[in-house]
Amino acid sequence: MGDVAMDVDAQPTLKRKGRGFQHDGGREQELKKEGFDSVDEEGSGSAQRSVEGWIIIVTGVHEEATEEDIMERFNEYGHVKGMHLNLDRRTGFVKGYALVEYDTYKEAKTAIDGENGKDFLGHAIHCDFAFSRGPVGGARVQQNGGGRRGGRR
Amino acid sequence: MAEEFYVRYYVGHMGRFGHEFLEFEFRSDGKLRYANNSNYKNDSMIRKEVYVSPSVVNELRRVIQESEIMKEDDKLWPMPDRVGRQELEVVLNNEHISFTTSKIGSLADVQDSKDPEGLRVFYYLVQDLKCLVFSLIALHFKVSPGVTTLP
Repeated sequence: MGDVAMDVDAQPTLKRKGRGFQHDGGREQELKKEGFDSVDEEGSGSAQRSVEGWIIIVTGVHEEATEEDIMERFNEYGHVKGMHLNLDRRTGFVKGYALVEYDTYKEAKTAIDGENGKDFLGHAIHCDFAFSRGPVGGARVQQNGGGRRGGRR
Repeated sequence: MAEEFYVRYYVGHMGRFGHEFLEFEFRSDGKLRYANNSNYKNDSMIRKEVYVSPSVVNELRRVIQESEIMKEDDKLWPMPDRVGRQELEVVLNNEHISFTTSKIGSLADVQDSKDPEGLRVFYYLVQDLKCLVFSLIALHFKVSPGVTTLP
């Protein structure tokens, strides 16, 4: 009825605020429908392969970092075939994260292992795969995550 | 148990081409759902889902926390109208906001509103969230998130 997607009744301790809690006839919740596409690719460990490669997220990126800085550092682990270094829309500086794309699992994994916790322009950066094969922190931990059919391309 | 965390954003309108909208949500387990329906020039509905890693969820949480959106309130913001509506729902640190307002064309609309400071926080946060989501969707699915008709 309302526009609120979360099951608010199940969260009695939450402090609520906003007009979205008033019932106003509402609209259909598109996100509650079925039929969402996902990438049907094998993963490796808990990481999920993307359509054309492996994406890692780098956080703690200095606000004055440039694409060249990132490229220079991450090309050491393999060819960086794509990168998004998004800016803060208000300040125009780097928002603080970068998404870096490699062809192979091995390149991505080596980059993560090589750069996680390292200093980058005076800040420690954190590196990890951006996509995962399933829910995190939940009960449904996947046991057989080896990617038997060539997941480690 | 993982701390409750949820983010949902919607922007859309009913128009000449039907219900055109963009909507996405992140759940605390990392599930990202993305739907975009623009009927303009026969674009079709895009509906994608993927799990993001805890690192992405943490970064998203940081972006929201640093925006201080949880301190704001939508009570003085422009009401949704025929031009369109936006909704932002966030659950973070035992607080649950569900804000609703009209589309915001530019910063001038923000300045002219009754709550320019609050609306400005919303205006920039929404852009930063869309920017993150478009990058994730574009890189993972190799599709253009299809934002031609949306602000």
